[in-house]
Amino acid sequence: MKNLFACVLLLLSTITLLSGCWNQQELTDLAFVMAMGVDKGKKEKFDVSYQVVVPASVASGQNGGGAQGSPVVVYKSSGNNLTEASRRATKQIPRSIYYAHTTILVISEELARDGILDLLDALDRDAVFRTTTFVTIAKGGRAEDFIATLTNLDKIPVQKFTKTLQATERMLGENIKVSIDDILANLIDPGKEPVISGFRLTGNPKKGTTPQSVVTTKPPAVVTADGLAVFKGGKLAGWLTGNEAKGAVWVMKKMQGTDINFNWEGKKDAVSTIPFISKTKISLVRKNGKPSMNVLIETSFKLSEINVPYEVTNSMSMDVIEKKTAEQIKKDVERSIHKAQSLKADIFGFGDYLHRANPKIWKKMKGDWNDQFAKMEIHVKVDAHYRSAGKRNNPFWNDLKQ
Amino acid sequence: MVNITTNKSLISEAEIVSILSKMLKKKHQRRQSDNYRQILDPLKPDDLPIDRDVQMNIKHLQEEMGNSSDLVIRQIKIGQFGGALVYIDGLVDGKGISDYILESFTETKQISEESDLFQFVMDKIVAVGSIRTIRNWNALFDALLSGCTVIFLNGYSKALSGETRGGDRRPIQEPSQQLSIRGPKDAFNETLRTNTALIRRRIKSPNLWVETMKIGTITQTDVAILYVKGIANEEIIQEVRDRLHRINIDSIIDSGYVEQSIEDQTFTSFPTTYHTERPDVVASQLVEGRIAIVVDGSPFVLTVPAVFVQFFQAPDDYYSRFDLSTGIRILRIIAFFIALIGPSLYIAATTFHQEMIPTTLAIAIAAQRENVPFPAFVEALVMEVTFEILREAGLRLPRAVGQAVSIVGALVIGQAAVQANIVSPMMVIVVSITAIANFSTPVFAMAISVRLLRFVLMALAAFTGFYGIMIGLMIMTIHLCSLRSFGVPYMAPLAPFNTENQQDVFIRFPIWAFKKRPQFISKGNTVRTGSNQKPAPPSQNAKESQNSEGKKS
Repeated sequence: MKNLFACVLLLLSTITLLSGCWNQQELTDLAFVMAMGVDKGKKEKFDVSYQVVVPASVASGQNGGGAQGSPVVVYKSSGNNLTEASRRATKQIPRSIYYAHTTILVISEELARDGILDLLDALDRDAVFRTTTFVTIAKGGRAEDFIATLTNLDKIPVQKFTKTLQATERMLGENIKVSIDDILANLIDPGKEPVISGFRLTGNPKKGTTPQSVVTTKPPAVVTADGLAVFKGGKLAGWLTGNEAKGAVWVMKKMQGTDINFNWEGKKDAVSTIPFISKTKISLVRKNGKPSMNVLIETSFKLSEINVPYEVTNSMSMDVIEKKTAEQIKKDVERSIHKAQSLKADIFGFGDYLHRANPKIWKKMKGDWNDQFAKMEIHVKVDAHYRSAGKRNNPFWNDLKQ
Repeated sequence: MVNITTNKSLISEAEIVSILSKMLKKKHQRRQSDNYRQILDPLKPDDLPIDRDVQMNIKHLQEEMGNSSDLVIRQIKIGQFGGALVYIDGLVDGKGISDYILESFTETKQISEESDLFQFVMDKIVAVGSIRTIRNWNALFDALLSGCTVIFLNGYSKALSGETRGGDRRPIQEPSQQLSIRGPKDAFNETLRTNTALIRRRIKSPNLWVETMKIGTITQTDVAILYVKGIANEEIIQEVRDRLHRINIDSIIDSGYVEQSIEDQTFTSFPTTYHTERPDVVASQLVEGRIAIVVDGSPFVLTVPAVFVQFFQAPDDYYSRFDLSTGIRILRIIAFFIALIGPSLYIAATTFHQEMIPTTLAIAIAAQRENVPFPAFVEALVMEVTFEILREAGLRLPRAVGQAVSIVGALVIGQAAVQANIVSPMMVIVVSITAIANFSTPVFAMAISVRLLRFVLMALAAFTGFYGIMIGLMIMTIHLCSLRSFGVPYMAPLAPFNTENQQDVFIRFPIWAFKKRPQFISKGNTVRTGSNQKPAPPSQNAKESQNSEGKKS
């Protein structure tokens, strides 16, 4: 009896061995895809390029011996869908393609104008690919060139993308990070349309791929964040750039920090303020049975620059600065709302607010929401509060000899 | 078919009979083997009374002990009567014998006829603390071999034994294993009496009871049970007594022998008894209701029942302030888990769950492993085994050579292996962190059990990744919950959960907040502190009243 028990236990314990490490993969057998670029294909639907990291030349440990070669290598493949392209890519890539660390998906503007819907299911369904991967649009260029460009500050080019996006989102507020999740959520939402941050490649794309480009102080090709791509029905409808993009970010409640400049006594952009806390409230108003939207933006700002003589210490005079800042923000926001209305794409999610505030009206307007949105009256009110003057009170201009 | 089955049943019937008879025989054999104690035991050949003739007694003694050279026999004369003084050299206090026994014998020139010589010697001559009359040889050997001096007197079929224990013993020194920054610096030594005294010095209560017994058929080792009467659970005391009485082996060399003979579960890597070389630890545990087992010849005292959380409590926890101790204790628990699953997490993350590693780190590890020929599991195994070998070698080596091992170890593991691309630097870091974390467990017995389990978890991680680690940890938890130490659940007071006893588990409460003794150990008397023990500055009212009193006087 005891022997039988021992035998059974022994047999049971071998079960663990039977599993045989079926999905075990050593780190050195993986090709880490850091970024994936999708272009419109010439023969097939998609040309997909993969930015694969070369670990040995990235890590400057005692084994790697520093930057011996390029930190990444870009492989190209094509197919009528992403899986086809991905499987075909294995013909070139010596290790198994591993998507878990992919941080950026670059879609070319050309393809985005045709529609991005066919890309999304593969990315959403794959167990390894993260849906938190950021998506960007390659403005006026090929996605392949974007991910093949080497960068100076960060060895792995993809980090340049993500870090730039993060920094500019925090400091300038013209771009926002958009993940696959966000796009999917906004796509299926009838009261909202997605936006995706755009990037532009300035300089010479060919030269940007050579190691020489990272040993100079003036890189021949630089990837620059540039504007927000507005999507409608899964297709790129237009761009919001500069202050328009800023205004859109205000309304989308994503504003973390930016700068507001305005003229003073004929001097162009003489005053600069930097909002650091902001709060956006959107509410529904009904006037004569017609719904309209109220956008209330409250923000606190610091004074960053004032290039004219001015009594900063006087709170009465600072009220004027507050008003001017608020006016400037209001101008940006209104411009961006008009742009969105002219594109007939509700990127701000006003439809969602309407839905929540008054489902009955929403039901009526749901069918042609984007047209309704284009006609809708939207009132913008901005309250800006001055909080700090920085390290100095009155500017030196006050004491400057006339 | 039918035929065969009936045949079979017939055969089996016959077999049953034979098996039964075999079992009976076995039982008989077992009963016979029960007698081996008497056969093996040279000290208890028979319970002969002591002879009237001293010379006969001496002859018998020499025969029994094979003329051992450390047996000292000194012929004496008291007046006209002859006698002999017998002791074992080295076990006795030689100065005591010469000062308090021999000298008085030689000074006594004559004694009055009418008085009983035996009584006279006992009352007037032998000037030592404890004196006993011995009537048979068993008792005589017991006394003689534990350091007493035995006196034979002609004409009496009994002997005297005087307490003269002494000889060279290790003095009380600082603890070598369980060090503490603050707290008493004395440690147990190999002498039972010193050890019990060290404990009694800390608990000056008549309720500290000491029970002594002899275990080991050949070694006849003294084993003492200490407990605080009224706090310790009577059932557990009885259980300890029973288990100690059940021990029937030839030798008890160290308390480890006793530990292994009385623990609840042999097939576990977790210690179910606690051992310490610190008298302060024993004293505090006795007051909590635990029972201490002191074994002669061992500087480690066992305490039972032992629970899991106890192995994360260091003496320093109680001597320094509670906030600090709590932080350090939590650190210790974290270190325990690092030591347990450190390498397995590394294996699982690098071979199954590469998505769990931050991108930059994943690339860095990949780069390091680029030239390493082995899979992560083999790499980890090689490093862990190497480290264990080094550690074991370092333990056993003579002090003079010890340094060489550490130099070789540091060079081989730390540098050469990495440069030769046998292991990756990351693996060296993982192994070192694991090793250091392992050392932070206060009790060695727990640390060593983790060492063993680590390899099991590594194998599980290599086969099935995090899933395997989780399975392993779950099995470990179930096993821990199934363990008992002298009837007390091993995971108490966590499982079964007891709110009142959480004061000393993860968070060490301030001493004044230790309201109750562990209820899973002591059943009745559990109140520890009086009410209102929280220290506070004197209140305004109290101050005023003091002042006014001062004025009055």
